[in-house]
Amino acid sequence: MRIRQFFTGALVAGVIGLGSMAALLACSPQAEAQTKKFKIYLSLSYSGNSWQSEAANIVKALAATPPYDQTVELTEVISGTEVQAQISAYESMISNGADGIISFPVSPTGLNRTVKRGCDKGVLFFMYDATVTEPCAYNVSYITAGFGENTAQALVNALGGKGKIFLSRGVPGNSVDKRHTDGAMAIFKKYPGIQVVAEYYGMWDDQTTQSETAKALAAHPDVDGIWAQAGEDGALKALMATGHDKLVPMTGENSNGFRLALADPAMQKRGLKGVSSGSPPATAGYAFKLMMEILTKKRTLENHNVEYPLPWVPADKVDPCKGDLFENGCNVFPAGKVPDSFVTEVFEPKLLPELSLVTALEGKPTPGATIQALPAEVKAATDEPGINCQKCTPPKDLYHLSKVEATVAP
Amino acid sequence: MTRLHAETPEHSGIGGSRGAPSPSPMQGGRARRGVGLGGERWITLALFVLAIVLILGSRVISPAFGGWTQTKAILTLAVFVIVVGYGQGLVILVGGLDLSVASVMTVGGVLAFRLIGLDTEALIWSLPLILFTGALIGTANGIGVTMLKVPPFIMTLAAGIIVYGGCLGFTQGTPRGLASPALSALFTNEIAGVPLILLVMLVLVSLAALVQSSTPFGRMLYAVGASPDAAWIAGLPVRALTISTYAISGACACLAGVLMIGYASGASLTMGQDYLLPSIAAVVIGGSSILGGRGNYLGTVGGAILLTTLSTIIAALGIAQGWRTVIYGIVILVALVLLREQFYTWVDRSLRGRS
Repeated sequence: MRIRQFFTGALVAGVIGLGSMAALLACSPQAEAQTKKFKIYLSLSYSGNSWQSEAANIVKALAATPPYDQTVELTEVISGTEVQAQISAYESMISNGADGIISFPVSPTGLNRTVKRGCDKGVLFFMYDATVTEPCAYNVSYITAGFGENTAQALVNALGGKGKIFLSRGVPGNSVDKRHTDGAMAIFKKYPGIQVVAEYYGMWDDQTTQSETAKALAAHPDVDGIWAQAGEDGALKALMATGHDKLVPMTGENSNGFRLALADPAMQKRGLKGVSSGSPPATAGYAFKLMMEILTKKRTLENHNVEYPLPWVPADKVDPCKGDLFENGCNVFPAGKVPDSFVTEVFEPKLLPELSLVTALEGKPTPGATIQALPAEVKAATDEPGINCQKCTPPKDLYHLSKVEATVAP
Repeated sequence: MTRLHAETPEHSGIGGSRGAPSPSPMQGGRARRGVGLGGERWITLALFVLAIVLILGSRVISPAFGGWTQTKAILTLAVFVIVVGYGQGLVILVGGLDLSVASVMTVGGVLAFRLIGLDTEALIWSLPLILFTGALIGTANGIGVTMLKVPPFIMTLAAGIIVYGGCLGFTQGTPRGLASPALSALFTNEIAGVPLILLVMLVLVSLAALVQSSTPFGRMLYAVGASPDAAWIAGLPVRALTISTYAISGACACLAGVLMIGYASGASLTMGQDYLLPSIAAVVIGGSSILGGRGNYLGTVGGAILLTTLSTIIAALGIAQGWRTVIYGIVILVALVLLREQFYTWVDRSLRGRS
């Protein structure tokens, strides 16, 4: 608006006289520097589960935290799960003159051409959690940190190397689901005693996972363990609903309910053990801060694939928080403070000290917080074809264990 | 009204036979054997028999199958389709279709999650409030369909999208609240080995089936479905009746959402999505005509149980998801082709011919 007023003013000035017009032009760069805000678009594929909205809320909260509240104009666009819809969302953002687009991409390859077009026009693309293979975009994700193989090994350890297990997967055809499952199967295949008796898609959703797990349990009530992606709280509820006293070892992602259950002595006595790991919504905040540091010329980033640390919380490390912050290493909220499906990994004390519970739940800035600079060092992600690069070779030890060691021999 | 008028004469021509209010199978089994009534009775019976045979036969797939545990799991999972299916069935009976049930179910879940929480007493005042909200959305659907003459699938699809948007705005994406112990108890507590929810459903289903088959209200719905024009000439409040079915459908969807909180102890904005198509499929497999005028609730219940049984068994087959979905789709198609009234009328006639 102000720019348009300025142009109107310039026109009038042009009519008045060439001299005064020249004067106006001379001072215009300065005027623009004061009034121009960075145009940032937040492109969500889909909103409806806790994870997506928490990630978006974190970005919205950071964009409203000083000094970004004065310098950033953030627009949120939810375009649905169709690639075509996100392409057109990107296209309109590019033509609206976006400075940066921070996005959860629905496809690792389908958006590439549009992303490239945007890059050529000078738009900065930052993808969080999910990735694209277009090299000009930045990917900030935990995907390469090995969720699948590490949780699989933890489950194998808990089972002593043998038993019947369920694989509770995510969304069919999704590259993230595939990466997780490939990593997990790389471990499970080493152990002939491990038998996958049911494999189903929980759509990363507690309710769907619960009914799918209930169906699998009807066929295999004698299951010995469950390897789950997001939705694990539903798998646990299905297990408890069978009415059996016995629970089994489980690995899953970061829902509050699952973490609380892992740490509950009564549940442990019934046989529940395992680890909570997986996708942290805080990644979105890290991606946003990296992007802003590049836009404000505080940082240059050679490597476009950035790895976000994989959360890793075994039962004995679960520590309930007293207040609304992740203080003193606590990593779960008491029952009743947030829903069971709430994804706990919304904080990162080193990378994102600006965040509190209100940022994740409502997208409002933490009172009194200001944006802190990120640590200079950024962890590069490994190359994984089809995930974060097109024609590249993955390292030989792609599925190496980083969080847990094998305690049972195959 | 809501249907193509071109069909009306055809329907009213044979309205006496296939559009007549059908008695519930319980009554039907005793004495009444009017022409065209046999088919529906057979369908309902066949669905239940088929479900039982499938459950017993599934022992082949897993030795754990075929027992009470599996039956309990199936019946519990079928509860949501059975509840949504009642409203959907009434709407279909009058020649409409309700595509908003998924979003309205989410409304029920989100509100129950927020309003009830740990406070069991809150259940008493908030449950009517939630059901009323659903009925209100349904009423809007009904008004759009009858007064504004919007085709039912467009009207309810649009309403569903609007309501979903409302939920997204209201919750900011994350439904907040607490699981209700009272609602969870419905699913966890058992009396003599039968989960409480199944006993509650037994009462609700019986009442609902009676309302549809044996009250003046239910019979008027059959009349409207069979021939809206004839019903109008006969002096029936066709618009009000049509609107009421949408209102009931909204309330049912909300009730299913509330029950879902008891089952899953949590709400998400996608919680209703898995129930839209099964609710329609259950009604149609249950012997109702998608064009209206025919069907009964026990058929829908049978359809819901059969669908859930199938999906449970297919889930246990241990094959890739793609093939699983293909099989599920084929089975529904085959069921729809076979479980048609003509087929049962034929069975009925040939059996009677023999005896």
